[in-house]
Amino acid sequence: MSAPTTTVLPGLIAPARPRASGPRVLAASFRLTVLMFSADPQWIISSLMAPVVFALAAFEMYRFSSPVLVLFSILGAGMMSMWAQTLYGSGWATGQDREFGTLEPTLGAPVSYVWVVGGRVVWNTISGLIGGAVVLAVVGGAYGAPLPIRDPLTFVALFLLVMAALSTVGLLFSAVFVYSRYAGFVQNIGEFAFYVVTGCMFPVALLPGWTLPVSLAFPPTWALDALRSATFPGYGGLPWGLTGDLLGTVGLSVLYLAVSVGLFRYVTRHLAEKGAAEEW
Amino acid sequence: MPRPSFWRTFWANAVFAPRTSLSFMRVDFILGQVFVLSFTQMLFFAYVAGLAGNPQTPVSFVVIGNAVATMTYATVFAVCGTTDSEKNGGTIEHLLVSPANRIALYLGRGVFPMLVAMATVSVAMLYAVEVFHAPFPSSAVLPAVVSLLLCVFAMVGFGLLLAGVALWLRTSNILANIFLFIGFVLAGANFPLSYLPGPLQVAGELLPLTWGIASLRAAISGAPLLSVAGLWGLTLLGGGVSYALALGLWGVFERQATRTGSIIRF
Repeated sequence: MSAPTTTVLPGLIAPARPRASGPRVLAASFRLTVLMFSADPQWIISSLMAPVVFALAAFEMYRFSSPVLVLFSILGAGMMSMWAQTLYGSGWATGQDREFGTLEPTLGAPVSYVWVVGGRVVWNTISGLIGGAVVLAVVGGAYGAPLPIRDPLTFVALFLLVMAALSTVGLLFSAVFVYSRYAGFVQNIGEFAFYVVTGCMFPVALLPGWTLPVSLAFPPTWALDALRSATFPGYGGLPWGLTGDLLGTVGLSVLYLAVSVGLFRYVTRHLAEKGAAEEW
Repeated sequence: MPRPSFWRTFWANAVFAPRTSLSFMRVDFILGQVFVLSFTQMLFFAYVAGLAGNPQTPVSFVVIGNAVATMTYATVFAVCGTTDSEKNGGTIEHLLVSPANRIALYLGRGVFPMLVAMATVSVAMLYAVEVFHAPFPSSAVLPAVVSLLLCVFAMVGFGLLLAGVALWLRTSNILANIFLFIGFVLAGANFPLSYLPGPLQVAGELLPLTWGIASLRAAISGAPLLSVAGLWGLTLLGGGVSYALALGLWGVFERQATRTGSIIRF
């Protein structure tokens, strides 16, 4: 008896798909994000206008107190700009994919979704930096005196670290928002809560003790404290000092990054098994 | 064509707007706005005020200002968004040719935002007094309620005015956001208007929110009723001018739309 044979019609079984190059996808995603940002100017509100307004409000409240507090308003608003870009840009990108109907094709593409999100995060980081620079120019101009930054180069370097730390939060949120339609809710309702918890306009030491673990769960809290410790004259900061802040920032950021990548892999596999993302 | 009565139009819009042009005001958003956003916004500025230690802007000053400012989400932002809803839903053409009384129509659709705004600001005031310990004498309850009601009414008018401007825009979001954030700086919510340069002070004085906040603060501080009434008058004036301008803008838009036969380009 001969073994049963299976006849496969040509074309029914697709050959193994070549996987797209990750960096190339990242570059394409970056380009598309820039184009969409330019086409839809309402992002300027969250990334530029709102932080400038918050900075001016805080500046007016701080200006009669001490020059260091003016720095708080500038740095805080700069962080708000980056945060807005991170959360609105990176987090909302998943919701936007869902709205445009591009979530499933993107997740089904022969490349990890993390590269697509990565391209968005890169642009959001850059636009956040631009927002921070605008805040610095506006409030610095309104202040009309040299800002008491101890070491400008360290300030810039640690500002970049704050951005990197925020990006990891955005990356994690992007992955989580695949499973939720509440991205807009979290962004709008949770905005001030995040500003409070991470102490972007004031030291987290002012918050009640029980909130400290929540604050420390976010990498930007550590990065901001490092920035203030290194460059703000007379800033006390968290008890473990600059080295502890830097270690905490890097450690938590790596953890966020690892969890994000793992979550993206899980999301892609899970949705492929389920065959639909509309369920969430 | 018979014209529907004023009250029928008013009531139909008050009842249906939450399910149509205001359908983006979902229950979860409203609850989040009323209970969470108002608190976190006040908390944020209270910490800033606490750190600043400026005797002119104590925490009580800031939390009261922000408690009133929280109504901006429901009034300005939501009401302004109705224009987008009408355009996106394809109903604006029908609205423009309907024989409904325009005042009844716009006032009616403002009822729901007014209720949400009153709920938001009431809860925010509760936070201000109970959590942030802002002084609030019992004698101030009545004038404070009047201040808030007038301010909500005026702010809905201001939202309608922005909605009128938004008729010529592709999206109302930008406009609504601008005025949402401007309130933090120009309306005296966080610091006295006198801190601002002259032109910005004038811009702030054009906002009904400024007078609403001022009248509430005056009512709480036990100012003479006559001076509080003056601030009520200014709040009402701001609201009245906003409603009049909003109706005017809608009228211009209607005539332009009828003349050109197209509104899709806006």
